[in-house]
Amino acid sequence: MIFKTFIKRLFPRSFDNEIYNLRPKDLIIRKSSNHGGFKFGLSLLIIIFLFAIFGPIILDVSPYEQDLTKRLLPPVWKEGGSWEYIFGTDGNGRDYFARILYGTRISLTIGFGAACVGMIIGVSLGVCAGYFGGWVDQVVSYLLTCQLALPGLLLAMTIVFLIGPSITVVIFVIGATHWAFFLVVSRSATQKIKSLDYVTAASAIGASKFQIIIRDIIPNTFSQIIVIFTLEVGIAILNEASLSFLGVGIQPPTPSWGLLIAEGKEAIFFQPWLIILPGIALFTLVVSINMMGDGLRDITDPNSKVSEE
Amino acid sequence: MSKLKSLIITLLISLMFPINVFADKSDDTFVAAFSRELTQLDYHYGTKTEFLILGDMIDSGLFYVNREDLSYVPDIASDYKIVDDTTIDINLRKNAKFHDGSNVTADDVVYTYNFIVKNEKNRRSKKIKGWMESIEKTGKHSVRFKSKYPYANLFNDLYRIKIRKNGIMGTEGNWNDSAQLNELNGTGPYKVVSFDPGVEVVLVRNDDYYGGPKGMPAIKNVIIRSIPDMGTQQAELMSGGIHWMYNVKKDIGEAMAKTGKADYQLGPSLRVGFLVLDAGGYSGEGNPITKLDVRRAMNHAINRDSIAKNLIGGPAKAVHTACNPVVFGCFQDVKKYEYNPEGAKKLLAKAGYPNGFDLDLWSYRDKEAAQAMAEDLGKVGIKVNLKHGKLSALNKARKNREIRAYFGTWGSTASPDTATISNIHWRDPAKGDRNLSGDPKVNELMLGAEQTLDVEKRKSLYAQGLKLIADQAYWVPLWSYSEGVLSSKSIDFKLDPDGYPRLWNITWK
Amino acid sequence: MLRFIAGRLIVVLSVGLTLSIVTFFLLNYVIDPAQAIAGEDALFEEIEQIREQYGFDRSITIRYFEWFSGIFQGDLGISYYWNKPVISLLIDRAPETITLALMSVSVTILISIPLGILAALNPNSLIDRIALGIAVTAQAVPNFWLGLIMILIFALAIPIFPVSGDKTLFHFVLPSIVLGASSVPAVMRLMRTGLLDVINADFIRTARSSGFYGWRLVFNHALRNALLPVVSVLAVQLGNKFGGSVITESVFAINGLGRLALESILGADIPTVQILVFVFAIIFLFFNLLADILNAYLDPRLRL
Repeated sequence: MIFKTFIKRLFPRSFDNEIYNLRPKDLIIRKSSNHGGFKFGLSLLIIIFLFAIFGPIILDVSPYEQDLTKRLLPPVWKEGGSWEYIFGTDGNGRDYFARILYGTRISLTIGFGAACVGMIIGVSLGVCAGYFGGWVDQVVSYLLTCQLALPGLLLAMTIVFLIGPSITVVIFVIGATHWAFFLVVSRSATQKIKSLDYVTAASAIGASKFQIIIRDIIPNTFSQIIVIFTLEVGIAILNEASLSFLGVGIQPPTPSWGLLIAEGKEAIFFQPWLIILPGIALFTLVVSINMMGDGLRDITDPNSKVSEE
Repeated sequence: MSKLKSLIITLLISLMFPINVFADKSDDTFVAAFSRELTQLDYHYGTKTEFLILGDMIDSGLFYVNREDLSYVPDIASDYKIVDDTTIDINLRKNAKFHDGSNVTADDVVYTYNFIVKNEKNRRSKKIKGWMESIEKTGKHSVRFKSKYPYANLFNDLYRIKIRKNGIMGTEGNWNDSAQLNELNGTGPYKVVSFDPGVEVVLVRNDDYYGGPKGMPAIKNVIIRSIPDMGTQQAELMSGGIHWMYNVKKDIGEAMAKTGKADYQLGPSLRVGFLVLDAGGYSGEGNPITKLDVRRAMNHAINRDSIAKNLIGGPAKAVHTACNPVVFGCFQDVKKYEYNPEGAKKLLAKAGYPNGFDLDLWSYRDKEAAQAMAEDLGKVGIKVNLKHGKLSALNKARKNREIRAYFGTWGSTASPDTATISNIHWRDPAKGDRNLSGDPKVNELMLGAEQTLDVEKRKSLYAQGLKLIADQAYWVPLWSYSEGVLSSKSIDFKLDPDGYPRLWNITWK
Repeated sequence: MLRFIAGRLIVVLSVGLTLSIVTFFLLNYVIDPAQAIAGEDALFEEIEQIREQYGFDRSITIRYFEWFSGIFQGDLGISYYWNKPVISLLIDRAPETITLALMSVSVTILISIPLGILAALNPNSLIDRIALGIAVTAQAVPNFWLGLIMILIFALAIPIFPVSGDKTLFHFVLPSIVLGASSVPAVMRLMRTGLLDVINADFIRTARSSGFYGWRLVFNHALRNALLPVVSVLAVQLGNKFGGSVITESVFAINGLGRLALESILGADIPTVQILVFVFAIIFLFFNLLADILNAYLDPRLRL
């Protein structure tokens, strides 16, 4: 399928004819310390992580406590704003800063959770298809086509309807509709590794297929999978926001950013910060993850020339 | 390939030229926006408020709800006489006409009601068949209805059934339900010029309209557009693309009014909010809500006044009865549960839940109020897991008897009588899934009040029923709503006491 | 080649069939269509009436076979919600979505191809970084948010474009930018890496040594070769736009297939959602097939 061609162009290393030995660690480290985008993305992500974990502990704020007499207060830089509520309050009189801060946890949980689910599905299917080939490969390829052809958003809406919305359901639904990249990359990596000498040797001395897959193949696909993983984290976070925006994602009063944007949507012209602030938060998080992912791809790709100025 | 190419090019060219720019007073064209789409024209096949508004513009029933005092007045009927408890004689206007120019006669009325009752497929069939014994023509412009029992909410049904021309929906055994869905030969003050389902309906004033209680409309052309997003609607209103939008919350309405580009009105509405509680234990074992003290605690826990005042605003206020205080029969002297979180905690402890319990609370409308309520319940120890979703999800769970408590609202659009809300919510559990009280007495009183024409007897039955509901705390009545409307500076629109937007009464300033 | 196409067509049809079964059972299990048709304040009798009228009280398997055999007789069913044959809904709504899809792909091309070329010709320059910045931004902005912000800026603050609707091509400008932006990162990167690869390839070096250089070289040789994969990816993106138009169409009140899908899901209109899922899937598969054929035809080296 064309999909594979597309991935091939974006992730050339997974499809190179010769397999590269893992390069010396110091080279990777030198490359990453020279890669500006990677450094920027990673540091931003670490800061966001620290905020998400320690912010709610250090700052004594609650995203749920409401005061209906203090609804829709403007943020501090607007006329009428105060330092008590830095980002103002929402329609239920809740501290908007606290809600966005807690929202970071939700987005990170869903992003990483859904990418893990997608990775487990995609990599196990991909490795099986690549290792066994034949009809297994054909069945997997059929599943891949089905997944790609199904309008994901419509499917997700239907499933969330079915089971009822919760964080776990959303994680599994997004994961279950985002494994194509994992599959394609791990499949082709497996095909190459399988034909390498030491793998054929292992099977010659009687190692079981399962052992070979676990011990020899999966660890070697790791560096490619990690690149896809970061990419999928960003996609999953945006997907959750879309689902919540349409009202079939996270349940209120849980402060998901997509939900915050949906709740502020009606007031876009008069309280624009209600959608601009969570929008910026969402954007910053996804940008930092994507920059890190792009960087990782450059670093692990032996053909790339990270400038060493 | 060349076919496709020419198709695309034709398409692009046809889309390139603007069709109409902004409609306005100068060409006597008024544009309204609905956020829910109009899928067809025939009111008999839709129940949403939007369909009723359109129905009143292009159709008429025998009766109508007067905008001033919310009483039922004759519309296509000219006058009526109650012969006995189960018989009513109705005379028709002699000057009422269909849009095709023909006169409305007794034959048309008889045909319409026969079509409704005899056509098993029609959605209103069962409701009308429930009370109607027969309809007969008693003259060229008079008919007689006979009912199976004294039916109190008769005029509401006579308002909701719109008169169809004899034969237009087919004949018995060969009914054609879709005859009037996309084009309509009605009797209302406006005629349909064009209809694009889900997009817009274009109307023009019916100059042969008989007047009647709706009056002759002042504006010649009306366009109703479906715009799903409220933000988009506001932007259209500000840029002059539409003149009128409704269901506008107070914060947005007030902010919009401040810009000076639109007028905002926040008036009363017949809609009320309430929690339905599974007192009868339909949802299975171990349900704390079956205990009276728990239900009373929930009644005490919610700060109705604060939510009504701060979140909804306008005339909205706390309600203590299972109906809107302004409608007929809504007896007010019942047990009132004031906001008292400490008292609620004590009641919970007394019922054996000193640490509260977990509760799934279902809701589908008014997310802000649902969250505010959940927070209030949390303060007394009832940890609410809000299940806010689409109505169809709630309906399914309710049908499967999985619900312990849900946040419902009831609009009673243009039907100011307790019967409209109680008929569905207190019926025999075998015939409906909303009466979770488990108390047959409630059903007997509340629905019994529909089966007599004696006004005093009805009032007394409702009073007993509503007292019982409040005393046993089968519901948590919450608040009445407000209706918010934004209208452009060029039009003169006034909200009526029931919050039902009568668009045909709008005039230019 | 014919065998290849025939094989792919069989896959397309069987995938379509699988998806139709999955969606039919899912939808019918999740939603009570009778209540959904009746509406919020409907009475119990009305709901039961509808259940009988539409035959929702019968078994789901029977209903699926009825639906499926109808398709073969050219009957796509009648929408419960719109009270119209589904086929006429599709015909009514398709032009808007086709216009939106074509225009948004044009937006993608207009932004990403020149940017990709400039970035590839000046690797690691300021232009390259700006291009990367645009790609990273476009990848991280949710399109529902972008749509609202676009209305805020270009329809209200600076009233250049209409807020919503689909009467003229002018109405499609903002939504096309929103929908087109989501494809910019992928296409731009592909253009950039593709062009860099070709520039470094042997035959270009030869061309360069024989006296061609600069822009002419780029347009005559490198670009043509680098565009091949981009064209097929654009075909795939075009296929994606149909299913991807749901949010954009509802924010801008465009009456296309995407908004039809959303309204039909919320209205629990099983016949319409059913057909739409099928149509979106087939469109997606068709454009993929097209891209595959293009690819195999134009560049045998890329054949998988």
